[in-house]
Amino acid sequence: MSDREMVRDYLNSLMKFLSRLDKEDADDVLREIECHIYDVMEIRQENGQMIDASEILKGFGQPRELASQYVDHILEGTPPPMGFRAIQKIKTGTTKGLYWTTAIFGYFWSAIFVAIGLYKLISPNAVGVWANDIGESFIIGGLSQMPAGTEEIMGLWLVPVAIGLGSGAAYITKRILSVLKPIVR
Amino acid sequence: MTNNSKDPSKWDVQLRKGTLELVILALLRGRSLYGLELLGQLQELETTAISEGTLYPLLDRLKRDGNIDAKWHQEGDTRPRKYYSLTKIGQEKLTDLTDRWRKSVEDIEFLLENPGPQTLPKKGK
Repeated sequence: MSDREMVRDYLNSLMKFLSRLDKEDADDVLREIECHIYDVMEIRQENGQMIDASEILKGFGQPRELASQYVDHILEGTPPPMGFRAIQKIKTGTTKGLYWTTAIFGYFWSAIFVAIGLYKLISPNAVGVWANDIGESFIIGGLSQMPAGTEEIMGLWLVPVAIGLGSGAAYITKRILSVLKPIVR
Repeated sequence: MTNNSKDPSKWDVQLRKGTLELVILALLRGRSLYGLELLGQLQELETTAISEGTLYPLLDRLKRDGNIDAKWHQEGDTRPRKYYSLTKIGQEKLTDLTDRWRKSVEDIEFLLENPGPQTLPKKGK
């Protein structure tokens, strides 16, 4: 690999790890480092020394580590929204998996609640919340036959309540994801 | 100095970590320098020699904190370079850190100059 290719690879890799910065800031960092490297290469060439890009790059360290010194302050600097302080502790360990699990789980339940609410409008008798007299059995959902010994307890109130719960779940999911997003790439 | 001056001792590393901010601000007092120049100057001195990977992120932090300013500038037909200089905040910070540094040196000197077995005399200040 030529010296120039080596430098280009390094800068490309650095660019990837800097992607959490604003484009403008990342470009500025890259430009400065690129400038430094080519300056040193020129000076060495003028002095008749070996250019040896790998030696020059060594001073900058691994792209990931160098980038993290530019990027880490973003994670420290943005407080999570009110009520989500605990998330800060697990932020750094967050993986793609957690992000998508949260998204799927949150939006799945949100969709179920909204669907129940809407289905109640279309088919009022098949959907409801049933409980027996002593409250030890509780059924929510769509049924073709009313469960024996129980009474439907919510009637049309189920529509706003279910849609409200669904929207609430979607909102909370969205807020959690917005906190997780900057750390997942 | 220690007998292994080629291989910086842990002590040097620790001390440098604590004083690097002061070192950079002091270097930029009354002058604008770009990264490679700063690095060259720092590497001239035995205890301030740092690597590129330490210098540039530190400059970024000092800039973010408002202590230094950075401007791209091109001279002649050289490639443009990013020059750093002290801001007003940085100058004040340099004054504060300089005071603390001198106080610290004075205190340590005081300790070194007053060995046992008698107890440490009261210091004037």
